[in-house]
Amino acid sequence: MDLRPAEVTSILEKEIENYGGDSRMQSVGTVLSVGDGVSRVYGLDDCMMNELLEFQNGVRGIALNLEEDNVGCVLLGDAAKVREGDTVKATGRIISVPTGDQLLGRVVNALGDPIDGKGPLGTTAADLRPIEQPAPSVVERQPVTEPLQTGIKAIDAMIPIGRGQRELIIGDRQTGKTALIIDTILSQKNTGDGDPTNPEQVICIYVAVAQKQSTVVDIVRRLEAAGAMKYSIVVMASAIDEASMQYLSCYCGAAMGERFRDAGRHVAIFYDDLYKQALAYRQVMLLLRRPPGREAFPGDVFYLHSRLLERAAKLADNAPEINPRYEAGGGSMTALPVVETQEADVSAYIPTNVISITDGQIFLESNLFNSGIRPAVNAGISVSRVGGAAQIPAMKKTAGSLRLELAQYRELQAFAQFGSDLDKATQAKLTRGERLVEILKQGQYTPYKVTDQVAIIYAGTSGALDDLAVSKIADFESAFLEHLNASHPEVAEQIMTAKKGIPDETKAVLDEAIATVKRQIA
Amino acid sequence: MSTVAVDPVTARWAGALWNLASSQGAVDQVGKDLERLAAEFSSPAVRAFMLAGDASPAERRSKLEQVMGGFHDLSRRFVGLALDRARMGVLERAAAAYRALSLDKAGVVEGVVEAPRPLETAEVSALEAKLGGELGKTVRLSQRVAPDLLGGVRVFVGSRMIDGSATGRLEGLRRRLLDAPLPTPAAID
Repeated sequence: MDLRPAEVTSILEKEIENYGGDSRMQSVGTVLSVGDGVSRVYGLDDCMMNELLEFQNGVRGIALNLEEDNVGCVLLGDAAKVREGDTVKATGRIISVPTGDQLLGRVVNALGDPIDGKGPLGTTAADLRPIEQPAPSVVERQPVTEPLQTGIKAIDAMIPIGRGQRELIIGDRQTGKTALIIDTILSQKNTGDGDPTNPEQVICIYVAVAQKQSTVVDIVRRLEAAGAMKYSIVVMASAIDEASMQYLSCYCGAAMGERFRDAGRHVAIFYDDLYKQALAYRQVMLLLRRPPGREAFPGDVFYLHSRLLERAAKLADNAPEINPRYEAGGGSMTALPVVETQEADVSAYIPTNVISITDGQIFLESNLFNSGIRPAVNAGISVSRVGGAAQIPAMKKTAGSLRLELAQYRELQAFAQFGSDLDKATQAKLTRGERLVEILKQGQYTPYKVTDQVAIIYAGTSGALDDLAVSKIADFESAFLEHLNASHPEVAEQIMTAKKGIPDETKAVLDEAIATVKRQIA
Repeated sequence: MSTVAVDPVTARWAGALWNLASSQGAVDQVGKDLERLAAEFSSPAVRAFMLAGDASPAERRSKLEQVMGGFHDLSRRFVGLALDRARMGVLERAAAAYRALSLDKAGVVEGVVEAPRPLETAEVSALEAKLGGELGKTVRLSQRVAPDLLGGVRVFVGSRMIDGSATGRLEGLRRRLLDAPLPTPAAID
């Protein structure tokens, strides 16, 4: 990076001028032992929980265990530089990270230091926020009312997510969990034209915990290529970083999101993934000799996740009147944590914990994924407990019948092989179901606008596609949406503003468009 | 730093001994006894014999009996009990714990003052008085010459440090300069 000597000189001048010779009393301690990324320190009498400590060689640490005769801390840097007998200084600061607009488009580590080679963030001391903050209280919240459009038909229709909700994404490895997150981030471009200064733009924060660096680089490239990095922040504690950084990175991301939430903006935060975070936490806590519990996780592993996810909230419109900590009301932070399961075992310790904390979950299944149903969402066992209230009315009405027909299809699916031996009604249900499943398939990195989703789902549930071959559904879909947006641009507005289901006149336009396109592709 | 790490077990043993000694008015006498014991332990041969060797408890007892001539009755009992319970570590560290406790009860803190040149007695006592006023305790400072400080003094009292040295200030300046907000690349272009 290019720096002018004159600027450095002026900074020097200012610093030297302001440099006071104040020699305040500082709390110090001595390193008793160090190893495996943790250290025990004797002294540090007034040490606070989560206080940032400074070791002799500039290595930083966090005090996590305050015991009778020593302080247990995790090291946030090169443990090899710390030696027994070194002096440790207490900084009097709870660990905090820089927050604010300057972080948009940047990749930072768990301490908020930029790691993307794009130079300093340009934040000031006033932008620092403690990474652990209390979640908004009951009176400072309101129920979710606005939708967070993921752009994925299967999710927006059947498992809708509201702004301020916590929705778990759960599934085995290689089932498309991260792909779903990327699509959701790309889809947020529709909220404010991808312009981060637009107050309507949903800010996205992707926290990569113990991910491969190559994966994160790939994600960042893809977001940049799609123009989605402008309104996103990537917090990365990759597999090579210390376990302490890995478990702290989620709180760091949450603190950055809260800054926007408290200013009345909308944020979607993705923790990828919380199972690995729990593993990192377990490692640190075992090294600090906290007693192990089930599966050797410490007793507070539930609290580890509950306090993190509780910070996702939809703030009340009058939140600033109740608590001056908020700059504006109505902001939201939506959390989409990921948990990776082993062999689809959702009853393991961490998955059950997080399922019980969140407001619903999206199950991704490898069977579905391998049979070509992508996104591999199992609509039968995926739920969203509060998101329904945030769906637009047209989608709510249309998706209602979709859910029902898919459920009936799943029940009858086992009989599908009997073919013509089945009665007419059963055959009709199977035909419908096959087409609906086909409609819900979607390519990667192609989020749909909600109006397009309503239109195509309407086409499926109205039965107009029952006489179309399953193999032609995909062709129909693209041709239909193209035709609709070109010839009937007013339909989108009508669907968006409909108060109760799709209006009859709009339905007539849609039916006509469906018939036209069917003739074209036949 | 002047403070020594005292483990909780030794602190508890020393606390019990101090309470009894104080009720019998023998705090100083017992303290001296323990110092003698600690001096004995400072020899590597004795230390190995008492802590690591395969000596029998009776042999260890008879070895300590030689040291305990002129010990206060309380000190003798203390040593006897520690031997019975096989708390050799307590015996070794009891003097330090007892001393820390005695100082604490007397409202005294010990510390070290580091400076690049030997300080005058008047300078040290002025520092002691000033620090004592700030901490609300009597401060006793010992001296250590540390040429790498370049100038000024650095004082350690208990688990606190006051860094008024030139090195410390330069280090602080270095850190401030590193942390100083730089113009972002966009601003430079």
